[in-house]
Parts: sequence; C-alpha cells; structure tokens
Amino acid sequence: MRLPVAVKVGAFALVVMGTYTYYANSIPQIQSKPPAELSLEGGNVTTAQLVKAGEEIFHTKGTCEICHRIGQKGTRAPDLAGIGARAAKTKPGMSAKAYIIESLLQPDAYIVEGYPNIMPHVDKPPIALNRSEVWALTAFLESLGGTPDVKLDDIPKTAGAAAAGGAPAEIKIPGDPKAGEAVFTGKGGCIACHKAGKIGASPVGPDLSQIAKIQTPDYIMKKILDPAGSGTVAGFPKGVMPPMFGQSLTAKEYTDLVSFLLTLK
Amino acid sequence: MVALLTLFSALPALAQEAAKEPAYRAFPLIGSRLAVWAIAQLHLNFAAFILGVPIFAVIIEAIGWRTRDAQYDWLSHELVKLTFTAFSTTALLGAFLLFLFIGYYPKFWAYMTSIFFPTYGIYAGLFFAETFTVYIWYYGWDWLSGSRKWIHVSLGVLSNVFGTAILLVANSWVTFMMSPAGVDDSGALKGSVWGAINNFTWMPINIHRLIANIVFGGTIAAAYAAFRFLGAKTDEERARYDWMGYIGNFVALSAFIVLPFAGYYLGREIYAFNQTMGITMMGGFMSWLWIIQAILIGVLFMGSNYYLWLGMERIPGSERYRRYVPMLIGILAFGFMVWATPRSMVITLDEARAMGGTHHPVLGFLGVMSAKNTAVLYRRANKVSTKPWVTTGMAIQWAALGVAAAIVIFFGVYGYFVESLVRIGFSVYQVLAVLGAIVVVMAIDIPMFKGARSTGAIRWGTIAPRSQYVLILLAVTFTWLMGLMGFARSGIRQHWHVYGLMRDNSVDAVTPAIGYAANMITVVTIAFFALVLFVFWLGGLGEKGKAEAHGHAAPIIAGGSDRHS
Repeated sequence: MRLPVAVKVGAFALVVMGTYTYYANSIPQIQSKPPAELSLEGGNVTTAQLVKAGEEIFHTKGTCEICHRIGQKGTRAPDLAGIGARAAKTKPGMSAKAYIIESLLQPDAYIVEGYPNIMPHVDKPPIALNRSEVWALTAFLESLGGTPDVKLDDIPKTAGAAAAGGAPAEIKIPGDPKAGEAVFTGKGGCIACHKAGKIGASPVGPDLSQIAKIQTPDYIMKKILDPAGSGTVAGFPKGVMPPMFGQSLTAKEYTDLVSFLLTLK
Repeated sequence: MVALLTLFSALPALAQEAAKEPAYRAFPLIGSRLAVWAIAQLHLNFAAFILGVPIFAVIIEAIGWRTRDAQYDWLSHELVKLTFTAFSTTALLGAFLLFLFIGYYPKFWAYMTSIFFPTYGIYAGLFFAETFTVYIWYYGWDWLSGSRKWIHVSLGVLSNVFGTAILLVANSWVTFMMSPAGVDDSGALKGSVWGAINNFTWMPINIHRLIANIVFGGTIAAAYAAFRFLGAKTDEERARYDWMGYIGNFVALSAFIVLPFAGYYLGREIYAFNQTMGITMMGGFMSWLWIIQAILIGVLFMGSNYYLWLGMERIPGSERYRRYVPMLIGILAFGFMVWATPRSMVITLDEARAMGGTHHPVLGFLGVMSAKNTAVLYRRANKVSTKPWVTTGMAIQWAALGVAAAIVIFFGVYGYFVESLVRIGFSVYQVLAVLGAIVVVMAIDIPMFKGARSTGAIRWGTIAPRSQYVLILLAVTFTWLMGLMGFARSGIRQHWHVYGLMRDNSVDAVTPAIGYAANMITVVTIAFFALVLFVFWLGGLGEKGKAEAHGHAAPIIAGGSDRHS
C-alpha cells in the first residue's frame, strides 16, 4: 500500500523536529531563576553568615562570575583572589572595604590597568542589589585574603535606591504606632510568625526587629498588601504570608500597622 | 500640608484598590506564559510569511514583466495566493495575542501603552493600508495587465513598503522590552516616543527580521512546491513545481547568506546596550542554546548544498563539476565542526578540572569567533566557485575570491591577538569581504553568460524525489530555528518584562531551560504547519477550476514535456 504524500511528509517533519527536541533535552539544562531578595533583618548576623550570604550573591544575583574568577585570570575582569588584602593598597589612603564598596557602586571611579570599563553598577538594574546585599558582598570580597570588617552603616543609604527611582524620601505616615502594635499582636496576627523587638518569638517569618532600618516604607506597605508579589526573604518558605490584609484591615488599622513597623530600627 | 495629609490618608485606600486590580491573571490549564508564548510564536511565524513572500513575489513579477516570461508571472501570482490566504490568520492571531496581554498581563500592558500609545493608531492605519493594497494587487492581476502592468508592479512594491513599516512599528515594542531607551529611572517617558522607538536593538532587529522573513518565505514556498511535486500526477506539474522549489530555495539561500551580518550587528548592539546582557547571552545560562543554533545552521547550509548537487543531475553538461563534490563535502564538514565548537560554556567545577580550565586547551581556540567566521565564510566562498564559468572571466573571479579569502583569514588570525569586544567587530569585515566577492563574481557572470552557448535545456521535473524532502527539511529547520531565536531574544530579559525597568513578579518569572523551550518550540511548530496546510487547502478550494478563467493557467516548463514525448 502506498502511503499518501501528506503522511510521508508529515512523518518526515516530525522526525526532524523530534531529533532537534531530543538533542535539546539531552544537553545540560540550566534555568535562570529570578534572584531572591536578601534581607539581613534583625542585625544579629555573624560575620561568617554575612560572608556566606555574600558568596551566594557573588555566584547568583550579583552575576559577578560572568566576568570575574577567583584564582584564575579573567578574560574580561581581574582575578579576585586576594582582593581583601590587595584592595587596601590599590588607592593610597583608601581602606580595603572603602575601595571594594567604591568598585561595586561606582565601578568607573578606578579601572584596573589592562581591563575595559565594562563593569555595571551593582546596585542599579538589572543587577539591582539592595543595601543588605551590597553589605554581604563586600564582606565576602574582604574575606578573600583579608578580614571582613564592613558594617551596614559603611554602605551608603542611597545604595540600591536608584532601582526604585531615586533615594528613599523621608515620609511620615499619619498613623498611631501604639495602635499599630495592637494590630500587630491582635487583629493582624503578625505575631504568630514574626518577631518585633521584644514582641513575638516565632521563627516562621523573618525577624522584623530592625525592618525600618533595612527596608523602605514603600516596600513595607506593599509587602503587607501583596506579599507574594514583593518576593520572599531568602531562607523562608514562599507563599506562607496571607494575601488578604488589604481586605481584612481597615484603612486606619493598615496605617497604624505601617507606622508601628517604621519605628522598628 | 493639608494636601499631603489627604494624600496619606487616601493612600491605604488607594493601595487596597490597587491590590484588587491584579498584575497578573492565570490562563486556564497551561498558564499565561505558555499561552502568550504559543500565540506570539504562531503570530510571528505567519507574520514573517506574509511579509517575506511578497518581497520576492514582486521581484519575480518584475522579472516576468521585463522579460515577458509568463512563467514568472504565474509563479508570482501563485506566491501571492499563498500569502493572501494566510493574511486573516495572521490578523486573528495578532488580535488573540493582544487580548492575552490585556487580560493576563494588565499592568505590563498598561505600562507599554503609557509609552507607545501614539504608535497604536499608526500600526492600525498601516495594517489597513497593507491589506487593501494587497487586495488590489491580488484581485487586479488581470485588470492591471498589459500596458498597465507597471501600476500592478508598483502596487506590489507599495504593499511591501506598508508591510515593512508594520514590522518596524511592532519591532519598536519588542525591542523596547529588551533594551529600553528614552525613559527615566522610574520608566516614565522623558521626551517624545521616538526616544523609546529608536532604542539600541531596534534597527538591528528590523534588518535581521526583514532578511529572515525573506528566507522564511522562501523556504515555506519551496516546501509548498516540494509537497506539490511529490503529489504531482503529470510531468508538466512536476516540472512546474520543481522550478518553483528551485526559485524558492534560491531566494531563501541568497538572503540567508547575509543573515549572519545582521546577527553580528544585533549582537554588537546588545553588548553596547548592556555588557551583562551580552555576556549572559553568549557565555551565561544561554550558552548551550548557541550550540543548537550552530547545528541548525549547519543543517541548513549542508542541506541546501545537497539540494544543489542533486539539482545538477538535471543540468546537461554539469557532469564535469561532480568530481568536486566529495572535496566540498570535506570542506563543509570541517567548517561545520569548527562552527559548532563552543568557547565559553557554563560548566561544573568537576568538568572544568577535567578539561584543565574553563576552555578546552586545544579545541577552545576553535571556539572563538575568529575561527568560526574563517571556517564558515570560507565555506561559502567555495560554494560560489561551483558555478559554471567561462575561462575569460574566471581569472578575475578567482582573484576576487582570493582577496576575500585573504581578508577572512587575516582577520581570523588577527582576532586571536585582540580582546573579544574588538574581535566581534572583525566579523563585519569578514562578512563584507565575502559579500563583496559574491557581488563581483555575479557582476561578471551576468554579461559573461549573456547569449552563451547552451549545453542543453534544464530538465525540470527530473530531479530525484529525495531532493524535495531536503526542501521540507529546510523549511522545518528554519521554522524551528526561528522559534529558538525567539526564545533567545525574549529569554535574555530573564526575570524582567522590560529589562531593568519592570520586573516579572509572576509565577512564571523563571526563564526555562533549553529542553523545556525545545518542547514548546516543537509543539508550536507542529501547530504552525498544521495551520499552514489548512490555510493552503482553503486557498486551493477557492481557486479550484478558476485558474484558466483568471488567465493564470500554469505554464508549460521545459523538461516536463520532454519526458512526456
């Protein structure tokens, strides 16, 4: 029996596409996941934890590895082995941490000889590291041949703010922090998962004891109304925070709660 | 102060209102991303076809008009007929895509509208203009014949002008998402919309897509001819569709040769816009994608060469060139191997240790663009040399090829002594050298063979049937490659709707791995060919029994009747 031309042609086309598909599925499979927001809340981070978090950022969200190697001469950017010690001698009068911070936030301020001026500002999109992340990354780079001594206060407050359209403005929320604390412990039920200074102790969600120091009012307000859309703090399970506060809280309760959270520094 | 207080007291209410209006909605069963992916790829496939085919249809019509050769006029009409039936499908898919954006990505679409609203009216106007021009072009084929043929050809040109303008407008939206410009840090338009349109990748994508559309149109038209050839009942029909397939493939191949030039231009502009994006694309998580691209391009060039060699069997006097075929296969195979050798790959630490570094100690040298271009471009230069030439012109043509080869090899070697940013710029000189050689060779060929003694008419229709499967292979491969490149272009934005400006916060923000993408591309490509077959079948129903009445009887082509007698 002779097969119709359409069947033969169709089978041939399927074999061709099947071959391409099989090959594409047989080579290494690499996804590009959206980077998680790192929020070093509470201020109780040890140096070792900070360095570890910085190393994670180096390999992932920071995309540093695309150009930099550690212990191998890079084709586009300098080898970072020993940068923690070397950085202190690169610019006279500038400490290692100051040089590293400048290199991350203003990479064109000093160009290592022999390399092109191609490094992006890490606190601006598309990399857009926030202040906590710049802090951790600096600590990790200092640890490469040196001793990390960077503090959060060493990182300019404007770092990471450009991604949201400029430095965060000082705003005063017209709410009552005392009433907000009552919402936190009462109707809002926040205490079930979060710690806020002396209140609460549950490890389900991040410690909010210093939330106002490390996050913008914008972020805090948005996170309450749209928790899933605002990202999940690294190390905590996704989708746990309820999404219905926009409906369950009154406008006054919401404003009070935000005012309370903004006192946590 | 009062205003400020009013604003702040209203803020929670506004925020609650905003929270009710979702940024995303979920498409049933398959999710919003897959829905948009499938429809966008299908829409682009059809759009590429209806924009690409008319470009060479009008060129073929003009050739028929000037040479008074009826077979060209028939072929042009046949090609426009194919696109004509695909027009409404393209528009329907475009409308469906728009509904998906509005319904499932409302905030993203609202942002795009805030930037590009002035272009919407232009787009709609151009679409009307193109549609009605093509209507008149198609239905006025007999009415505007004879002394009014120039008006008809002009209508064909005009429809292509409108079609290209549509492409430019749509490209401005897509390229803005990839390399936004003309906006401030918060994403608001700074000046006129032109600043957003004229972004880094707009012009390179315009050129790349325009050329790729011609290649795509050519391969689909050739595949259509192959399908008709394989099902032909008579020698005349076989001869006609053999010729049509040859022309389609010739047009596709001619445009395909210059496509890498546009690709390098696009790559250079991506690097110029954002180094991180460029490096992520070529050496980051997408690096394996380019291995597949290299293989597909290899299949396309080797397949088209195989078709040309098979086609030589129908040309009397071509026997003297057949002994060069094994040597050419060797050169092609070597060029293909160099072309497919990677340079920067994402590898594990163990793999790097086993290899002795991030690049292979020997083969890594073949991975840089210098080696690739030297192998690939020299391969193409050799392909030109298989043409039948007359002795008097051959010396000049060989000299042109020699100069091109010298330029290609010089920059190929020199490329190892400069950094990659400079090296990628050498690609332009290498491509220009080869294109220059092709132009010189053709410019000499035309007068040299004018009125030349014929060694016998081409026996159209006598080509081996397996050659027609090569044409189908080329169409399937190019369509699949288009899907792959679409994934690369879109995926390079990673977790951004608009790169660096509007982040993708949906559940689909992960950019999938190549295997997942390949599965999706295959499913959509199958759907595309099924729709194409359906649309062509519909078009055929409408034309059944009317060809003679319309004065577009298929011409008798040399070869078919030879076998008949």
